[in-house]
Amino acid sequence: MDLSGQYRIPADVATVWAALNNAEVLAQCIPGCEELEKDSDTEMTAKVALKIGPVKARFSGRVELQDLNPPYSYSIVGEGKGGVAGFAKGGADVTLTEDGAETVLDYTANAQVGGKLAQLGSRLVKSTSAKLADQFFDNFSKAVAG
Amino acid sequence: MYQTKYHKPASVDEAVAALSSAEDGKVLGGGQTLLPTMKQHLAAPTDLVDLRGIAGMDAISAADGVLTIGAGARHADVAASATVREAIPALACLAGGIGDPAVRSMGTIGGSVANNDPAADYPAAVLGLGATVVTNSREIAADDFFEGMFSTALGEDEIITAIKFPIPSSAGYTKFPNPASRYAMVGVFVAQTGGGARVAVTGAGQDGVFRAEMMENALSSSFEAGALDGATVDSRGMLSDIHGTAEYRAHLVSVMAKRAVDSAV
Repeated sequence: MDLSGQYRIPADVATVWAALNNAEVLAQCIPGCEELEKDSDTEMTAKVALKIGPVKARFSGRVELQDLNPPYSYSIVGEGKGGVAGFAKGGADVTLTEDGAETVLDYTANAQVGGKLAQLGSRLVKSTSAKLADQFFDNFSKAVAG
Repeated sequence: MYQTKYHKPASVDEAVAALSSAEDGKVLGGGQTLLPTMKQHLAAPTDLVDLRGIAGMDAISAADGVLTIGAGARHADVAASATVREAIPALACLAGGIGDPAVRSMGTIGGSVANNDPAADYPAAVLGLGATVVTNSREIAADDFFEGMFSTALGEDEIITAIKFPIPSSAGYTKFPNPASRYAMVGVFVAQTGGGARVAVTGAGQDGVFRAEMMENALSSSFEAGALDGATVDSRGMLSDIHGTAEYRAHLVSVMAKRAVDSAV
């Protein structure tokens, strides 16, 4: 499953880049994030609670930043296990482009969901992922602009 | 295994109290979504608050141009109710087409509306008729109630007690059910109301139930299927999955809307 999107953020590239690498900002923006700890400059462990309709699942996993090309692009990849609910893994390529005083953020993401979540929720996996990605980048734009 | 504490309150106040004192409580209506989810361990609430012991929660009545259905009314009750059949036949027909007989014998209108599954039938009727959702603490207009897939304006410890439907001059509902699940691939509810025509679409939108404004405008000038020629919905907001693409669903919306208008009584 592939997702993509574009956001315009009212801040310069350096500010947006710094925020993309700031665990505290990421923790604020990831929907349902309960914990995000930095293990190294490029590795983090996270606990995320997802609530979609009647389903409530808590994922814990690792997030890694790869292919860093500061301050213009990186890839963020992650993998989480949600106990009996199943697992989720995915990644996103994020690119920043200067446009006057603003920054245009493009992302393409892919995600895979397995286990019971995928069997029961297949009709909802894509729209849920798109919604979560939207929420993240929406929160992120606001966090950086604010 | 995990433990769940079961509550069977006798009043709405007791139910709200049980819910607010629970660490992670869930309201149990007919259990047609929640129980399968719990069986799969995809949800593990600490407390279940069963509303079925509350007297009068399933009452159905009509007066002064308003049909009131208690949140605990099961789909089979609504489908068979002489009061509903007389006031809003399309609503009785919709209830009789939800899921299968087992689901209709257990599932409740309050549960369906509170869950707001993007492919459920009832949200289309609630939005299409401009109904009012009554809770233990307030009344919420349908236009403000549905906030996207699986999300509503309900607060954490808020319980739906009834739905109030203004009786339209005519209304119709037609869906294209998924042959396996009977969930609506696309379902369209149309109604001719005092405030003009309303068209609500379920099953198709990425954000759950929505109103098709272009179709409402067309039907407000002339409430007949022919008026919908050329009135479409944008495929960009439609669901796309193994059962059908976004374009297919957008096309189905037009087809179902015309059939719903033709069936309206």
